[in-house]
Amino acid sequence: MEAQEDNSQALKECEPYVRFAKLDELLALGRANSLWPLTFGIACCAIEMMAAGASRFDLARFGAEVFRPSPRQADLMIIAGTVNKKLAVAIKTLYDQMPEPKWVIAMGNCAISGGPFVFPGQYAVVEGVDKLFPVDVYIPGCPPRPEALIEGLLKLEEKLTGKRRWPIVKAE
Amino acid sequence: MNDVLSVDLIYVFAYCLGGLAFAGGPFIVVLLLEARRTRNYAHKTEQFIECGMDPIGDAWIRYSAVYYLYALVFVAFAVDVLYLIPVALVYNRIEEFVIRDFVEMLIFVGILSLVIVYAWKKGVFEWKRRKIIPKP
Repeated sequence: MEAQEDNSQALKECEPYVRFAKLDELLALGRANSLWPLTFGIACCAIEMMAAGASRFDLARFGAEVFRPSPRQADLMIIAGTVNKKLAVAIKTLYDQMPEPKWVIAMGNCAISGGPFVFPGQYAVVEGVDKLFPVDVYIPGCPPRPEALIEGLLKLEEKLTGKRRWPIVKAE
Repeated sequence: MNDVLSVDLIYVFAYCLGGLAFAGGPFIVVLLLEARRTRNYAHKTEQFIECGMDPIGDAWIRYSAVYYLYALVFVAFAVDVLYLIPVALVYNRIEEFVIRDFVEMLIFVGILSLVIVYAWKKGVFEWKRRKIIPKP
């Protein structure tokens, strides 16, 4: 809870000097429909992420297909896999280098909580990336299907615009 | 000063102002619209390398100047070609001067080839790292 307050405080400090009242919603709509994820696959979730980006599941339908090789061009970080403590430094650096506004999706159980790597005495795995920096959307699964990643992106869009643009699909 | 001249001066002044605004304006607009800072967890926003790893060493290192000698010799060849193209274009246009033109071209190329001979003599074409021994 305290971390959340810290984050909202930090977010406030990041705000630009000039804002556009009602027009900001239009900006948010633009951002939501053109999320640029960072090319950053870590483990098996990355395979699903690649599948989501390829032709069958086609992330391009939702405007999030432009995987950027540089954090300075990206505004969405999809943590797709297990984060080791050794990698945590690199991920934090990449997060730092992404310009504001930026969002993080924790994809898969490893990124959410450490997943199957949590056991007494484990010393190598970061148990949830939200221990490193704030996460906006959690996608459960081991690994989550591409549909789940797309749903996560829709959730993030909902967070940005306040509206859901796609009907919720009910399981038959 | 007559009217036409002063109007012209005003135009020049206005265009200068416009140019300055065009060059400097975006900086101000960006300053107002950009995010003031970015959230930081490792304080590495300013790191140049964008792959997450800390760079090893500095990019400002000293390296051998051997290549520059090659580049300079290349200039000799480039000038060669540059000046020969117009000659080649008009070479055969007036037939009575063909021999004279040919000789002149030979002289030109001959003088320029001296560059290569000189470089050869100086050992530029031997790819060796030269040790510079500082004078005491």
